[in-house]
Formats: sequence, C-alpha cells, structure tokens
Amino acid sequence: MSDVLNKTEEIVQKAKKLGADEVLARTTFGKYRQVRFSNNQVDITVAWNDYVTDVALAWKKRVVATQIHNFEDVDGNVKRLLQLAKVSQENPMFGGFAKGKFKYAANKADKKLADMEDMASYVSGAVDAAEKEAGGKIDSGGILYTKFEDVYLASSEGPIGVDARSAVEFSIRAFVEREASGHGVECSSTLKGFDPAKAGRKAGEIARLAKGPKIGEEGAYDVIYDPLIFGSMLGVWSNMVSAYSILLQMSVFVDKMGNKVAPEFVTLKDNPAQYSMPNRVFDDEGVPTKENVFIDHGVLKTYLHNTSTAKLFKTETTGNAGLVTPNAWNVEMDGSNMSKDELFKGVKRGLYLTNTWYTRFQNYNKGDFSTIPRDGIFLIEKGEIKQSLKDLRISDNALTLLGNIAGVSKERQHVHWWGEADPPSLSPYVLVKDVHMTKSK
Amino acid sequence: MKMDEEIVDFALEYAKGKKVEYAEARGQSQQRDQLSLRNGILEAYASAVDDGFCVRINAKGGIGFASSNKWTKEEAKEVVDLAFKYATTANRKEKLVFAEEKGVKTKWSVEQKKKIENVSPEDRVAKFVELNKALTSCGVKIPAIGAQCSIDLISKYFVNSEGSKISSFVPKIGAFVFVSVAEQGKTEQAFRQFGYSGGWEAFTEWDIEGNMIHTAKVLRDVITKGRAVKAGNMDLICGSEVTGIAAHESCGHPMEADRILGREMSQAGRSFIYKGGPYWIGTRIGSKTVTVVDDPTVEHSYGYYAYDDEGVKARRRFLYKDGLISEFLHNRESAARLGTRGNGSSRTVNYDREAIVRMANTFVLPGKFSEEELIEDVKSGVFMKSFTEWNIDDKRFNQRYVGREAYLIENGELKHPVARPIIETTTLKFWSAVDAVSKEVEFAAATCGKSDPGQGIPVFTGGPSMRLREVYVK
Repeated sequence: MSDVLNKTEEIVQKAKKLGADEVLARTTFGKYRQVRFSNNQVDITVAWNDYVTDVALAWKKRVVATQIHNFEDVDGNVKRLLQLAKVSQENPMFGGFAKGKFKYAANKADKKLADMEDMASYVSGAVDAAEKEAGGKIDSGGILYTKFEDVYLASSEGPIGVDARSAVEFSIRAFVEREASGHGVECSSTLKGFDPAKAGRKAGEIARLAKGPKIGEEGAYDVIYDPLIFGSMLGVWSNMVSAYSILLQMSVFVDKMGNKVAPEFVTLKDNPAQYSMPNRVFDDEGVPTKENVFIDHGVLKTYLHNTSTAKLFKTETTGNAGLVTPNAWNVEMDGSNMSKDELFKGVKRGLYLTNTWYTRFQNYNKGDFSTIPRDGIFLIEKGEIKQSLKDLRISDNALTLLGNIAGVSKERQHVHWWGEADPPSLSPYVLVKDVHMTKSK
Repeated sequence: MKMDEEIVDFALEYAKGKKVEYAEARGQSQQRDQLSLRNGILEAYASAVDDGFCVRINAKGGIGFASSNKWTKEEAKEVVDLAFKYATTANRKEKLVFAEEKGVKTKWSVEQKKKIENVSPEDRVAKFVELNKALTSCGVKIPAIGAQCSIDLISKYFVNSEGSKISSFVPKIGAFVFVSVAEQGKTEQAFRQFGYSGGWEAFTEWDIEGNMIHTAKVLRDVITKGRAVKAGNMDLICGSEVTGIAAHESCGHPMEADRILGREMSQAGRSFIYKGGPYWIGTRIGSKTVTVVDDPTVEHSYGYYAYDDEGVKARRRFLYKDGLISEFLHNRESAARLGTRGNGSSRTVNYDREAIVRMANTFVLPGKFSEEELIEDVKSGVFMKSFTEWNIDDKRFNQRYVGREAYLIENGELKHPVARPIIETTTLKFWSAVDAVSKEVEFAAATCGKSDPGQGIPVFTGGPSMRLREVYVK
C-alpha cells in the first residue's frame, strides 16, 4: 500500500512543480457496507467502494480543491486545478496549510470491518433481542453500517502519514404500538465488544414503557436527557465551537471566550479517540489529532481550529481541519460520580426524553431553537416513570440549556444516529432544569 | 467527464446472466463546481468530477445494491457479485417485487439558455462578490454574510433487464446565502436558498441581490419595528413560502409510500397515513379549497426530471385533491407492495445511492383571489410572508412555522411588522382552516433530506398565498 502513498505524494510533487505554493493530497480507499431493514426484515443491503484523492492547493493565497478518482488523469487534473487557482480570487485570510513533520500514533483499525460477513444475522439477532425486551410483537427498522478506510496523506509543507479508520454502527427503532416506540444505538470502531443486541434491548425497553401515550402538557420541566438525545445537543454545541461558526456568527459562543457558559461540573471535549467511530490519528492537514477541552469546568476555553482560523484567532491549530473548515470529530462530556438512578431520584416532577429530531434555529447567534422529541417521552414523578407522553416539542435556547444543566451521570454511551446525533459523542444521562415544552394547538 | 456506457452495459449483461428477477445498472457523471465565500472573500473554489456506476438486483425476493467509481470490467463483476449476494441472502419472508413497467428507450436533457460551460470561473465568483457589495451598501448593518454556490452538470445512463436504455443530461445551479443583521445590539439571521435546472440564466430568474437586500431590510425592521403578537385565535395569511413549506412537510412527506409502509421508520419516520388507520385515500384532510400536487415536469424547476431514476416517465401527482387524500408518491417497490403502479417518484442523488421515493416540486394549486382580497377580508390577524425556524414530527402531524417577514392585519389593512409569530398546529387543523387561496403561485428552492446515508435532493416548494381562519398564533 506504500504504492498508494507514493502516488499521493506524486500528486503533491506535480502540483508544486507546476507552480503551486502549497499542496495537500489525501487518498481514501474506502469500503462501506450497510444493511437497511424495516418491518423486521432486510429491505436492501448496500456496498459502495470509493477510490478517491482529495487535493487542495494554494497559489498566491488562492485556494482551490478537486477530487481525483483512482489516480486517473492526474496530470490533467492537477493542471486544470492550478489553472483554476490562477483565475480564482485571493483569500487574504488563508494562513497556509500545517507545517512540520509529525509522528502519529499507530492506528488499530479492525480489518474485519472491510467486508463483514453475514450482516443480516446481526440484524435479526438484535430484532429478536428488542422483541424479547418489549415483551411482545414489535415492528422495527434501522441500519447496520460498517466502514473501513485506508487513508494516505501527503503535504508539501511536511506532514506525511498513513491511517486506517474503521467503524461499525447499529441503529434500531422498535414500535410496540403505532405511537409507542424506542430507539437504541450501538457504535464502535471495532467488532470487539460490539453488541447490537444491546441496542435492541434498549429500543425494546423504551418501546414497552412508551405504551399508551397521552398528549403532554406545555410548560417548563426538569428534563432527564438520555445519552442519545443529549448526543444531539452535544452536536449542536460542538458545531458552534468551530471557529468557522464563530466567524459567521452562527454560534452562541461569539465573544464568550473565557466566560462561564455552564455550571462548574460541565466539561466538554473533542477527541477522535481510538474507541470512537470518527477515530483518526491526523486531521485533513496532517496535524496529529488530540483531546481538546473546549468547555472546562463550565468555562469556554477554546474554539476548534485549522491552521488558517488559528492564525486569525492568534492561537494554534487544534487538529480539527477539514479540507476547508474546522469541525469537531467526536464530542465527550465528562461523567460524574452520580449514577443514572440517582439522577432520576432527584426529579420530583419532570420528563425523561430519549430521542429527538428536526432541530432548527431561528437565530444561531442568539440560540433560539426548537426540536421534536420522538420515541419514548415520559412523565417522571418522585423519580419514577409515571406516564408515557407524546406530541411535545422542546422550544428553548441553546445557551440557556447549557447553563441549566443540573446533573450528569457517571454512565456514558458512545452514540451516533443519522444526521441528528452527529457528530458521534460519548454522552451521559443529563438533567437540565426548566426546559420549555410546547405543543400543537 | 467520464461515463463509460460500455461498463454500465457490461454490468447489466453480467447481472442478467445470474438468476435475477430484475437488474438495473446506472452510470452517473457529475461535474461539480462549488464556491464558498465569507463576507465577499472566496474561501475556496472546488471543482471535481464525481463519477461511477451502480447495480441493483432483485433476486429471491431480496434487493442488493453495490457501486464503485473504478470503471473496469473486473470491478463491474465484483459489484454485480456483491449485489447478487446481498439480494439472495436477504431471507425475507415477504418477497419484494417491482411494479410492472415497460422498457423505455429515450434521451432527454434540460436546455441552457446561457451555457454554464461558457461562464468563466472569474465570472462565477464575481456574481457573489457583487452580491456582497450590494448587501454591504444597502443601508443595513450586516456583520456576517455567507454564500455557497454549487454548479452541477449531471449525466446519467440507465439500463435495466426490461430493456430500458435512458440517457439524460441536467445542468443544475444552487445557492445558499446567509445573513446576520445587527441593530440596536440585537441580531436577526436568515438563510435563503435558490435553485434552478438550466443554465446561467438562473441568476436572472432569481434576482438574488434584490431578494437578499429585501431579506436584510426585513430583518432590520423585525429588530427595530417588530412587535410580538398577542397570542390567540386569529386569521393567518400564509405567503407562498409558508404555503410551500407546509405543502412539502405536511402533505408531500406523509404521502410518500415508503414511509407509509414503514421503510423509513428509523430515520425520517413514518406517516399519520397508514393501512387500518383513520386516514387513507379518500379521507378528508383539508378544506375543499386545498389541492396540493407534486410535479417533476415544471420546466427549469430545481426538482425537474422527465424520467425518474427507475426509468418511469414523470407526471403530475395530485396528493391532496379538493381537501381529500388522493394519490401517494411511489417507486416501483412501494407500488408493488400497495398493489398499484409506480408514478415516477423514484430519485437518487448519486451513483452510489439507491433510488427511493421522493418529492420533486410540491405546491398548492392557485385559487381565484388576489392577495389584496385575502387581506381585505381579515378583521384581525397576521400575514406570515416567510418563515425562519420550522419543523414537524416524524408522523408528519405536528408542525411549527416561525415567521421571518410578518405583519399585523387590522380591519383588512397591513400594519407594523410582527416579530417571530408562531403557528404550532396539526396537519388536519392547518389544511382544514384554509378558506381562500390566491391566484399567484411562487416557488422556493429547497434541499429535501431523507434516507441513510442521507440523500439531500433538490426540490421546489411553493404555492399561492392562503388564508387560514381562526388558528392559534402566538
């Protein structure tokens, strides 16, 4: 496979020879597999193989990018890209690609995920587990997804590296009644310890508890967020600490650096660690990835940067470069000493929410938004689930919710679901005070 | 652009050599240029060709799909073998079949009045630099402006085991513009999307500068002149943008047959319409004034196509007709499961994604009133011309639209701007409350999300202005 790295380096050299100032090339050979199921049966199994090199280059601060497939017509592609740079427009904010030679941690990708056998049996096992936990017939749907990528990166500015990235994800939504459902996910970077039946049991349990829902009442509630739904909020906040979101004012964290934005026990990090689905040893500029604490004991400590945004903000890159903008990889929230059960016991009257979708903002800077909880929604009284509810909407503010966090569990789960709980995260159960719920009238 | 029809044909022939009930092969080559600007500065210009092919096989009652961007016969064989293996090992109790269709041999394309290929990269960038200049000199304080433009030249070649052979070419342009307006220490923000199938004349059609300047002034006025509405039951006039999003969210989506059958249950969800439930074809869901259609054949629309991605001829579908649930959106799989014929609603975003049930251009048909006549007959209410935050639950019944540009109506006259009025109601209440519809239909571009991996697909939403009687607005 060093042949692939050589070919990737050749692209960089060719572009330099033709006059580019700085060049980045990243080749990804990816194998992706997915089973989609509904009504407890496999609907379709999908495979896609990808052979692609992403190339970005700068010429006199003009930044252009292209993709080359399977190393075809490299000369023509590089020439066209440089011509495009020459008629493009200068970006005075471009701070160059990362410079230096770096050592990277060894990757531990799971080769079994390159072509996982008998994926349908994983699905049926998890559906059976969901049905058993639900205590009766279910109607379930979801996906089993695997990824295996060999990644080769070369930069004219020094970085050169090889990475292998694997991931496996199982997601199941189980219905026991038309409006009683639960959702479970199981996410990992390797097959070791990967247990889709666990997700099935979670979906089945929530669905069973959700039977006979009544329309909920509007008002402000103390809310316990399940790790899956809290993963959606972690996604919102992590997007808002990207320096690019700050520059576009699409963030509640504009002008808040160094400010207290959450209670002292709240610490949020970005960390594409080995266990996580987005695991990687370097970012798209070849900078080693690392743990970045962006909210440290309630205080906003850093935005997430690539080399260019770091220069603008007079700081160092955090290893979060995508090819154009910086972004979070995998968000982690620190747990506490408190158990999930203790968290529930502390709620006299409130809600337990398990999943959500369709989060939309009126104003990212101000933070006003709404989102629609789905699957189990439960009324809690004296720490116990009293009633299944439906048809409620969270209509609140992203900064207010962060500030109103009142408790965090020690139990945490690695979660990801579709575009809603994204990017993946390590998410606990979280108690938030005074969450505003609305409903249709 | 690479489109090796020989490889696509080879893949189909190789697939037909196996014990398949149905096989199709589709090649797609997409030249995509993407511009990304912040405050008038070009962050990056990306230009690439994305091409590849896929095979979908129906065998032993299962479906397998595989794709690659390596155009070799060896790779084509591997792709077919994978798709066949996946189809035959699905072990479904309920065997899947596709609704009957005849093979079609045709070519179709979308005309460009001003060819995109003839517009230089400099001129493309210049459009957005000019937009930035226009916005920064319009008298409104706009500290952040983001713009993204995608220019696609999409060639497809589709063949199937029933003899279809369809080639197509569609040029498509889309743009997103974001503005953050600041006045009196407060901010208001808006995203606007523009879309067109055709050539560079898109920019003349859009009047992007005029639209964005208007949007910026509206946001300023919301801050400086906007007042909250006193919550309660009142008449609400929805402008075409609000009509369109409601048509898309609470008519188009719940009428997608794959959702009705549960195939999207874990992602975009199901539908309030289901067999044995309170709503089905023929059930009343709105007033007699309401007719909502989905029509891929609107020329130069963002969701335009002549044949869908299963080779079925496109036509207008009446979703809600005179207030009654009328016709679902189908691909061949869902049509077979519900014992009917496909209606050309199968779409995919690329060669590496399966075609699924999608909307194209969903809109309310016009009525006989002028917009002024709608307003004249309102004693007390709100005119919500456009929206900002919106969402709907996954059964497509509880929805919410928050106004961006909105005005109070008193005794038939428009008064001051209303700051972020909200309607949060059910699909049944919303469409049942419509008592009058205006004559003028307008469209807005949108990217509709569905499936896993996500397939964001270009659509139009739209319609005339509609008057809703006695709905709760807060």
